[in-house]
Amino acid sequence: MRLTEFFHRVFLVDLIKGLRLTFSYQRPSAVYTEQYPLERPRVAERYRGVPRLNCHPATGETLCIACNLCSLACPENLIVVGWTRTEDRKKRLTTFTYDLSRCMFCGLCEDACPVDALELTQDFELAHYSREDMIWDRQALEAGPRPTRYTR
Amino acid sequence: MTAMVHIAIEFIQAHPLVLALIKILIVFTVLMGIVAYLVYMERKVLSFMQARLGPMRVGPWGLLQPVADGIKLLLKEDIIPAGADKFLFLLAPAISITVALTVFAVIPFAGNFYVSDINIGLLFILGVSSLGIYGTILGGWSSNSHYPLLGALRASAQLVSYEVAAGMALVGVLLISNSLSMVEIVNRQMQMGVWNVFVQPVAFVIYLIAAVAETNRSPFDLPEAESELTAGFHTEYSGFRFAIYFVAEYTNMVVVSCIAVTMFLGGWLQPFSNIRAFDSLRFAPIVACLGTAVFVLWLGLKGLVPLERYFFIGLAVTCVLMAGLVAIPVVLSAIQGVFWFSAKVLVFLYAFIWYRATFPRYRYDQLMNVSWRWMIPIGLANVIVTAIIRYSMSPHVPAAPVAGLGG
Repeated sequence: MRLTEFFHRVFLVDLIKGLRLTFSYQRPSAVYTEQYPLERPRVAERYRGVPRLNCHPATGETLCIACNLCSLACPENLIVVGWTRTEDRKKRLTTFTYDLSRCMFCGLCEDACPVDALELTQDFELAHYSREDMIWDRQALEAGPRPTRYTR
Repeated sequence: MTAMVHIAIEFIQAHPLVLALIKILIVFTVLMGIVAYLVYMERKVLSFMQARLGPMRVGPWGLLQPVADGIKLLLKEDIIPAGADKFLFLLAPAISITVALTVFAVIPFAGNFYVSDINIGLLFILGVSSLGIYGTILGGWSSNSHYPLLGALRASAQLVSYEVAAGMALVGVLLISNSLSMVEIVNRQMQMGVWNVFVQPVAFVIYLIAAVAETNRSPFDLPEAESELTAGFHTEYSGFRFAIYFVAEYTNMVVVSCIAVTMFLGGWLQPFSNIRAFDSLRFAPIVACLGTAVFVLWLGLKGLVPLERYFFIGLAVTCVLMAGLVAIPVVLSAIQGVFWFSAKVLVFLYAFIWYRATFPRYRYDQLMNVSWRWMIPIGLANVIVTAIIRYSMSPHVPAAPVAGLGG
């Protein structure tokens, strides 16, 4: 035992092990850096980013039934749902305001939605020039995130 | 035209100093380029070992980063601290760089390409390079600041300790090669048919470690330990003077690599030149050019920016053309020496960066232990054993004529 330890020290075995480890990290697949503007980062599957109000893919009508549950679920009270009653006393969505400047992306609104109309998407580019720009109306929410394309 | 060439040749023959000046100019220019891109290589290799990409934004794959760094350092304000000893403060970086560059005067890059071949070459290198420590000590002392002073103190003790160990290692080689001339040492390895590293493996390892310590590189970078001493001896330096210290450090890396290659790895000699099977190594320069072309092409195809892609494809084509040029027999035999020398030096430079990526910095007492308790005794034992074997094998070989000094 002592002898092997002695030879380990004489031939610098531990140092060589370390050198081998760092050398192996030079393989191209080990690179973790994302060159952000040039390539999109890979966000997690359940990442909660920019909100979107989903429309029916075929008809283009909003899926939202104006039940107001998201607004009630929101801890920050930043969602305001506006509606009117039709003749048969059904609720109909008119306006939808979402204040992104106060949102903490907890996802409770998304969970509360009974029809999967409100969704926090994978997009993350949220910079705006003013606070007013960060209050999104129904139109912006239905259009959904528009990720910036960087091309040279 | 031919008349002009004749006149030029006659002029150079009449004035040998002109030829030396031309050689110095070539060596200096190439060296500065190498040093600039050594910084780039260090940042790249280091970042790959740390799963990063390193500089990518200035030019294709960050290739223009050294230029940008140089311009930035030139444009920065040159600060001299209020309480500094102004003369020494200005002198110190100059000492560092001058000493580092002077050593190249005696290093043979190829069998027929060296600035000068003096018969005390190794002694000259040891003498001059130990002056380089004055640049560090004076720079630290004259700054009139705590951190630089501590860095300088550490540097003085460290460099003195490791100079001894490196000297011991080199003495072992001297005993075998019987000469102090760098060219003669390489020629001797050619005659023996075996490189000194196989005859003196212990000395080689000791020199390898001592060389890292002497250049203040990690894991022995205590004089500039940034986590402890801000930036060590050059804390107070900025702008161009800092750049000079930086260049001096990297030049020193090249210097110790060159010495190690000359002393232990057969300088400009082709590996295994006395074995028939390895004769085809002569074509290594062509393979190197083509390999670079393939690598560059791969980079280009992976590139995300169209302009960079074209640049890399162009570069690959240039490399292929270079391979074609090198394949001409005359050129191939002409560049053999320089190619093998620079290939070996490159391996050493890579190893320096590799160590930096791998080993954490030594504590100060550990640093002293490694030198005084291990490397110097082992080096001394190596010298004694080598001397005994050398004497018992051929007791009557006369000492190498160190003439020329007296006549």
